[in-house]
Amino acid sequence: MSASTEAAVIHRTGIDGWRWFGRLFLVLLLGFTVMPMLWMFITSLKTGFAAMQYPPQWWPTEPTLENYWRLIDPTSSVGQDFLRYFWNSVWVSTLTTILAVVVAVPAAYAFSRFRFPGRTFLFFAVLLRNMFPAVVFLVPLFILMRVLGLVNTHGSLILTYLTFGLPLAIWLLKGFYDNIPVQLEQAARIDGATRFQAFFLIVMPLSTPGIIATSIYSFIGAWNEYIYAYTFLTRHDQMTLPVGIQRFFSENATDWPGLMAATFMMSIPVVVLFLVLQRYFVRALTEGAVKH
Amino acid sequence: MWNSRTDYLYVAPAIFVMLIVIGYPIYYTIELSFFNTPASLSLADKTFNGLDNYVTILTSPIFWKVTWQTVVWTTLSTFFAFVLGLGAALALNREFAGRGFLRGLLLIPWVVSAVAASYVWKWLYHSDFGVIGALMVQFGLTDHPINFIDNTTTSLYALIVVNVWKEFSFAMIMLMAGLQTVPDSLLRAAQVDGASAWQRFWHVTFPHLAGVSTVTVLLLAVQNFNSFIIPWVMTSGGPAGSSDIWITHIYQIAFGRQRWGVGAAYAVILFIVMMVLGYFYVRALTKGDESRAGA
Repeated sequence: MSASTEAAVIHRTGIDGWRWFGRLFLVLLLGFTVMPMLWMFITSLKTGFAAMQYPPQWWPTEPTLENYWRLIDPTSSVGQDFLRYFWNSVWVSTLTTILAVVVAVPAAYAFSRFRFPGRTFLFFAVLLRNMFPAVVFLVPLFILMRVLGLVNTHGSLILTYLTFGLPLAIWLLKGFYDNIPVQLEQAARIDGATRFQAFFLIVMPLSTPGIIATSIYSFIGAWNEYIYAYTFLTRHDQMTLPVGIQRFFSENATDWPGLMAATFMMSIPVVVLFLVLQRYFVRALTEGAVKH
Repeated sequence: MWNSRTDYLYVAPAIFVMLIVIGYPIYYTIELSFFNTPASLSLADKTFNGLDNYVTILTSPIFWKVTWQTVVWTTLSTFFAFVLGLGAALALNREFAGRGFLRGLLLIPWVVSAVAASYVWKWLYHSDFGVIGALMVQFGLTDHPINFIDNTTTSLYALIVVNVWKEFSFAMIMLMAGLQTVPDSLLRAAQVDGASAWQRFWHVTFPHLAGVSTVTVLLLAVQNFNSFIIPWVMTSGGPAGSSDIWITHIYQIAFGRQRWGVGAAYAVILFIVMMVLGYFYVRALTKGDESRAGA
């Protein structure tokens, strides 16, 4: 009796030890994660002079939103550029997302339902695509875009993002279709629906969470893409935000507060989108890894 | 369950686009790697030069230096991202107030653009006004701010920190999902039998995580091997090539020096390495399938 109580006491302290260790770890990790973002935000509220101080002002003596106003002011040249890049990013990412869903939905459905020859092979080809580095494609795609006359157009980016987003989009969606019982479609077929009707009226509505997750994924991917945009676009008025910000930086190398305000604005859409729809996103991403 | 010609129609659009945008470039890169193509990229003037491009690469001392740096970059980034991700997943694997919020916060670095992250960290590392240098002086670690990224011995490691910051939370969500598959009853049984917290983790939790861990590590490794943005935006591989990894190096050779043939040959070698990694990836995935089918 006393021995077991003793064991229980030891266990309790053991568990508490780990629990405290876990908490400490989380706090440190949180600091590591948040500190850079916080400093970005604090810097964006400073004047150029206030940012260039040593030791740094931990909180600006005169916080100002001036850097943000300048970015969204369509009458200044910086504002014009920034708004143009922002709009280009919105346009490219939105169109990529819509096209990706339109193409991926039927493909994912087929991968989930049909047993045609080479299905497994195709699916692993889809997965393997993710492993090829962008540079393998860069030179040939650049030539291809030149032949198609798409260099310096958004078409080149949309086509590229669409293709490179597809494998993952198909993978994510397939996970959702796998979870929808085939019996539902069979029942619809028995009731006289065509296979397409069964797909469109029964399966599609049930896979809405999957479509949402896939859309966020392709939107964020397109929004953040850099290497193709950097290679295909040289005209300023076509640039998307990641490339545009780089240009902004190379021309105003010492304007750190302005740059931090720009990176903050650039991060807002994806972070908000992500935080609001987090549960779909996380579920879709892990679905394939844990069970597939 | 069904089988007919029309089945292919569902996949046709996807296959068609991928053949053009994926199949053609792969073929083309392989072809370019056996040719000497003029800087202007005028394809009519390219001349066949056999394996010359490959010989140039493999006999160059820079190749081995960059390869070593790529190994360091990939291994350390993957290791630390995985360890931090595992720690976070275990610490969050318990109901408490604010857990969802905390998870969201930890995931933000993974969602933001790598270009934005690179500039933010460049500013944190700034040699004169960087907050990291200032903090280190404040805590008495050094007398004056250290310049981490303009220094040949520290630049690669400074970038690895940024990379780990950016992607540890990917490992975290993957492993959090993996932890859901650990049966509570087993953990409780182990606890009743007197297993310590560590023993329960090592003998019950960890074996259940093996599958997800393999996939996560492979995905991280592939992603790190293919990294471009962070080293390119922060240092362009410098100073003196000290933070150059394969992709940044290839980019410089192809688009910087217009040596298209050598760049393509590099890409082909990389491609072969990726195929080997890909083989293990697929094997890890299918192995999971078999064990599930067996259970």
